[in-house]
Amino acid sequence: MSAFRIPAFLRGEVVEEDWTQFGGRGGSEAFEAPDPQRLVERLPLPSPADLADLYSISFEEILDVLEALGQALDFEKNPHVQRAYEAAQVASNYPAAMLRQSYVTLPYVFDRESLRELAEQRIGIDYLEGWVARRLRDGRELRVRAFGARALHVPAGNGGLVSAITLLRNALTRSDAIVKVPSNDPLTAVALARTLADVAPGHPLTRHLAVAYWKGGDTAVEERLYRPEHIEKIVAWGGFASVKHVTRYLQPGLELIALDPKRSATIIGPEAFESEATLDEVATRAACDIGVANQEACASARVIYVLCGCDAQGLERANRLGERIYEKLVGLPEHVSTAPVRVDRELRDHLAAARLTEDWYRVIGGERDEGAIIVSQLDSAVDYAPLLSGRVANLVPVDDLKQVTDAVNAYTQTVGIYPESLKRELRDTLPLYGAQRLTSLGYACHVTPTMPQDAIEPLRRMCKWIVDEECDPERVFPLWKQPALS
Amino acid sequence: MPETKNLDLFMNDPIAFYDGSITKMHQVPRDELEAQQRLAMAARFAEHREGIEIVRNLADRIDVKEVREFDDMAPLLFAHTTFKSYPAALLDGKRFDLMTKWLAKQTPHDLSRVETRGCDSIEAWIDELDAHSELRVITSSGTTGTISIIPKDDAGGFYSMRLWRLFLFQEFGVEPDPNEPLPAVDVIWPNYASGKLGHLRMVELLKKEFTGGDESRFHPLYSDAVSTDLMFLASKLRAAASRGELDRVKIDPKLLERKAEFEAMEKRRPEELKAFFERMTTQLVGKRVFMLGTYALMHEIAREGLDRGVRGVFAKDSAILTGGGAKGHVLPENYMDVIREFMGVDRIQEGYGMSEVSAMHWACPEGRYHVQPWTIPYLLDPDSSQPLPRRGRQTGRAAFYDLLNRSHWGGIISGDEITIDWDRPCACGLASVPIEHEIMRYSEKQGVEDDRITCNATQEVHDEAVSFMREFEA
Repeated sequence: MSAFRIPAFLRGEVVEEDWTQFGGRGGSEAFEAPDPQRLVERLPLPSPADLADLYSISFEEILDVLEALGQALDFEKNPHVQRAYEAAQVASNYPAAMLRQSYVTLPYVFDRESLRELAEQRIGIDYLEGWVARRLRDGRELRVRAFGARALHVPAGNGGLVSAITLLRNALTRSDAIVKVPSNDPLTAVALARTLADVAPGHPLTRHLAVAYWKGGDTAVEERLYRPEHIEKIVAWGGFASVKHVTRYLQPGLELIALDPKRSATIIGPEAFESEATLDEVATRAACDIGVANQEACASARVIYVLCGCDAQGLERANRLGERIYEKLVGLPEHVSTAPVRVDRELRDHLAAARLTEDWYRVIGGERDEGAIIVSQLDSAVDYAPLLSGRVANLVPVDDLKQVTDAVNAYTQTVGIYPESLKRELRDTLPLYGAQRLTSLGYACHVTPTMPQDAIEPLRRMCKWIVDEECDPERVFPLWKQPALS
Repeated sequence: MPETKNLDLFMNDPIAFYDGSITKMHQVPRDELEAQQRLAMAARFAEHREGIEIVRNLADRIDVKEVREFDDMAPLLFAHTTFKSYPAALLDGKRFDLMTKWLAKQTPHDLSRVETRGCDSIEAWIDELDAHSELRVITSSGTTGTISIIPKDDAGGFYSMRLWRLFLFQEFGVEPDPNEPLPAVDVIWPNYASGKLGHLRMVELLKKEFTGGDESRFHPLYSDAVSTDLMFLASKLRAAASRGELDRVKIDPKLLERKAEFEAMEKRRPEELKAFFERMTTQLVGKRVFMLGTYALMHEIAREGLDRGVRGVFAKDSAILTGGGAKGHVLPENYMDVIREFMGVDRIQEGYGMSEVSAMHWACPEGRYHVQPWTIPYLLDPDSSQPLPRRGRQTGRAAFYDLLNRSHWGGIISGDEITIDWDRPCACGLASVPIEHEIMRYSEKQGVEDDRITCNATQEVHDEAVSFMREFEA
């Protein structure tokens, strides 16, 4: 018995045939999708010349369509979105209240002025709309235009937002997208595509979107698809295995835009303890960074360094902050955060052992799998820090600002920091160790697509930056007249 | 009701209690055995609650003063992570004073004579523990940047080996002849010759218990010792790789000084392997031996032997012990036949056990592992850790309460999924609780996850790194 079906969407056409069963995670949540073997040849754009229709429409028209798409995603009225919500309840680790919240807020991602700001800030609308001319010092006129490309997207499945961002990035850059559906968010991409086809049937934006499921790593499908004659770019979101797997297909003419698996860190300065009110606010903000998206996001807080010192007073402060964060964490409303749906067994074992190791760790909560704060009683994070999940965070007291660089490495994305003065102090050093985004404590998971991501500019990378030079021999010294230089 | 004196014997010397007969050990009617186990459990708990600090702490916290029924013990079972609950930073910083303090809370043995000043490596610390306490700790490498450290003692180790000998040389259903002592044999040890890792600690015990004290009858594959400090480094490397922090790993200069030595060990290996094979197929031909190793290792050796045209190497009444799962190897269906044909023995015995528990549960002719009478088996719900009913056929997470071991707390939750049919007696005729042959590690089961992608780097990164290390090691 299959929990749900994932139709394929081929540039306006919905494919609901050749149903093949897939295991789902752990085999318990089997689902069906059209046989990818029979579908794969129909996924790519037949010819690169077919991208031309995207240049018959204006940027304003792209915004018109995306705005209409946003309006049509109304959770109460849109059956595709409702189905996506139902399937996500089976396939994801998120509880219903949180999923519902994410689908209800989906339309806001397509806010017209926000999209305009995104395109202007990250690329420059002039470059998308036409050739931007600059005169260079050597006399030539350089004209640059950002063209779209044929891309294959492997979006992350923790939240439907990633599929929405994928779609809008594709549209704004006038690109062609083949979206590989993630098994933990099975129907959002299809819902977006079907709604797009409803609001803009036959429109170039609809004709340049294909969505299908195949099992990640299915070489029989991927070897036929991941070729320079079909696609020029692969945009792969996290999942170490999935990103690493994709690298086997890279070759000249096919590049990877890797939005790697990431973890995040938190740093709290001694100012947190200045008053009860401040401590309370800091605890609320930290709890939010741990709890939002039930700690499933790359930006979620896990190891929290506290600059309170490691002496008796420092430990007392760390423990007090830990208690307060725990209180705030379990008090978060259920549309923001809940007790986790699935708990990592190994982590639970470590928590049980930590409870018996009071010299080094104080474990606050976690007896009912509701989430927990482990306060290290020494200046070192728990050795199982990579397992932290399900609203379990580790507070680490440190004496010295130098020790917080431990918090940051090549896998670090976001660093949430309190207070702002500490952030300014750290912002020129932390990036050297790997930090990519520094943000105010409490905002780690409050992200916007209108900024660089993972220390790259994905929108610019998705474009092909084409050059047209005009060289007038009167202005640009002609090589054929170049004398021999001795 | 069994008498107190009998209870003491049952708990502390089951060999004497059962007259040295493995058949008697496994023919006790279930009710009678369980009554005895309950009394022993209550007594051992009282002893360890008094003597082991973390047991007392846990019992106080959950307010357990005594245990009567088996399920009373469930909240007192320790996760296997308990033996690596110390911060790895202590080993990195060579704070063996604090490590001793941590260890002292896990064992009733007195560690007050242990002097850690001057200990500059894990090996040196363990040697000091050996010298000035009753502990003989064993270590195992982990993947989270730490190593497990299990406080075993000498007495327990030797007792385990005596038990092994009984099970290796007796047969279920055949009472031992008191006039015929167990034989001394050549021990074939396809492994390193020494070290503090769990199985390597057995070497000294094996030599004494099995060879009749003649060290020349002990035949290791490699002549070298495995360094615990090197194992700790390997564990740190794995953890660092999973965190993207390989650039931060600092190798202890003392260990780095030994790099050439480790490389020489590696270089010697092919030669030693050849010599080992040579010895097995010439000097040891026709001898009554005891050989033990994992399925994969045994199969590899046997396959190699058959390919060279060697078969039927050992005396028919040799003792061959295997187990340990396939450990990531894919074995052909007939692997047991291959092993048997090469060795030329009547039977190959299989055992199921873990370092934390003093019992090896031996397989009967039906292939089921029969639980030793001095361990109480539990099946736990893998998610809630609640005990499953002790009736019908149940599959769950294996846990054991070990009544015999005295050097550390005996209640351990394993990482294994096992199946027990509580009601149906095993066709082999033994009365003891049978564990089905199919045993799986939960960590292996998790491998079925396919293409669930999140932007969050956690377990999969970690697994990837471990397999990277394996490739690296290979």
